[in-house]
Amino acid sequence: MTEKEDDVTLDEVRARMKAAGIEIAENRLKMVRRLLSDALAPIHAVDSRAARTLEPAVMFDAIRSAEPRRDDDDE
Amino acid sequence: MTSDDLAYATIADITNHYRRRALSPVELTRALLDRIERLDPTLHAFVTVTAERALADAKRAEAALGHGQDASPLLGIPVAYKDIYATRGIRTTAGSALLADWVPEDDATCVTRLREAGSVMLGKLITHEFAFGIQFPGHRFQPAKNPWNLDHMPGGSSSGSAVALATGLVGGALGSDTGGSIRGPAAFCNIVGLKPTYGRVSRAGVITLSWTLDHTGPMARTVEDCALLLQGLAGHDPADPASSREPVADYAAPLRQGIRGLRVGVPRAYFLEGVDAEVEKAFEQALATLRELGAAVTDVEIPSIQTSWAFLAILMAEAFAYHERDVRAHPELYGDVLRERVLAGGLILGSEYVQAQRLRSRLHAEMLEVLGRVDVLATPTTPKPAPTFAAVWDPSFGFPKSNMPPFNMTGVPALAVPCGVSSEGLPLSLQIAGRPFDEATVLRVGHAYERATEWHRRRPRI
Repeated sequence: MTEKEDDVTLDEVRARMKAAGIEIAENRLKMVRRLLSDALAPIHAVDSRAARTLEPAVMFDAIRSAEPRRDDDDE
Repeated sequence: MTSDDLAYATIADITNHYRRRALSPVELTRALLDRIERLDPTLHAFVTVTAERALADAKRAEAALGHGQDASPLLGIPVAYKDIYATRGIRTTAGSALLADWVPEDDATCVTRLREAGSVMLGKLITHEFAFGIQFPGHRFQPAKNPWNLDHMPGGSSSGSAVALATGLVGGALGSDTGGSIRGPAAFCNIVGLKPTYGRVSRAGVITLSWTLDHTGPMARTVEDCALLLQGLAGHDPADPASSREPVADYAAPLRQGIRGLRVGVPRAYFLEGVDAEVEKAFEQALATLRELGAAVTDVEIPSIQTSWAFLAILMAEAFAYHERDVRAHPELYGDVLRERVLAGGLILGSEYVQAQRLRSRLHAEMLEVLGRVDVLATPTTPKPAPTFAAVWDPSFGFPKSNMPPFNMTGVPALAVPCGVSSEGLPLSLQIAGRPFDEATVLRVGHAYERATEWHRRRPRI
């Protein structure tokens, strides 16, 4: 497993565990670091000010389910 | 008809046999129960076989056929469910020690709908632990084996569903797909799997992995069978907060229209990076076939596609939210891989989750923009054929990049269809994605491709 510059460090994983009150066996931390590094790489690459028009919610058409039932709804 | 031909009959074929009185639901159900008893000790596709229930369902279907009530295309069709679909009075384990003895009081909406359509329930199919972990040696439940090579994984998490279909144990199956759990096993086992649009098929009564990424859907041996199953499943369900009121299309009728003039977009960035040479070759051949069928195939760009892997942050954070109480109270009841994946979700900051959802918003908008210019997108379903168990059990395996999560992030429908075979004899698969609620076009393209090729007819030697 090669380390990349933007990888989450093992120390950072330990600090996050302490803050969250989560225990993970020391011999499994490399795997957790890898998961976190992969998951967070695109997020850490974002300049949030440059992307400030983005809202954190995808508006699927399924939102219509919140509408009152229609008379012509035969479902 | 040989016993193998009977076992591998499509839903459409079975219905035709029933209507001609060439086959009865009880006869087919008994044949499949015998086959399960013979083959499943090697394959481990089933967690629970519901033989008594199956025969009762079959007799009811037979009576309905006898009274001329044969309108439902799913009448007497033998199906089974991934073991995260709640089934009333039948244990639903989620492939987990935590729920090993859980017996739900109600059926999931999908189970109710297929029962009401007259299907025959053969049993419950193994899933990766809570649709997220991996069964290791010594796990409470054994992993299903890939029938194309027993040393290889069948994919996950709907592993039992794919194996049961690939080996002719069931006529149709349901899976769930949070990051490819319908399409991946379909790809690795040479069957067809459809992740419908988010909100198209109810998730009520299906154990949650990630609220905003979870999809339920059909798996089958042909695209037409997927269409028939989807027809029985789709539609608004007030019990699922994300369920859509979008009208349900006719999925089977348009299949025969062909694809002349349809526009197929190929997003090469991300989807063709790190892809095995033989996967790429099979994919290019599939594109050539689509062109021969009259489709216009062009490259397209999804500008922020490389941010797709923010998917993993959303998945892990939501999985932790779902599991937090149990994993803190009973960590010993979680397999090592699942426990670490879930706990890693608890290490993601709130701000990181929000940023991941913002990236998702941008990806969604771009995907819809591209799908305004083409009718469907085509990609390889997986960058590589099925890995070995030994590779997956190595701690360095992690959670490899995949071609499927972008369509969970954006909620659009995506289909996996067999498209080749590797030099090791392992199946390869074509992924076709489309516009929201336009499963009909996605299925139409898949069906046209399937009819022009023979890949879906291959059967594993078992």
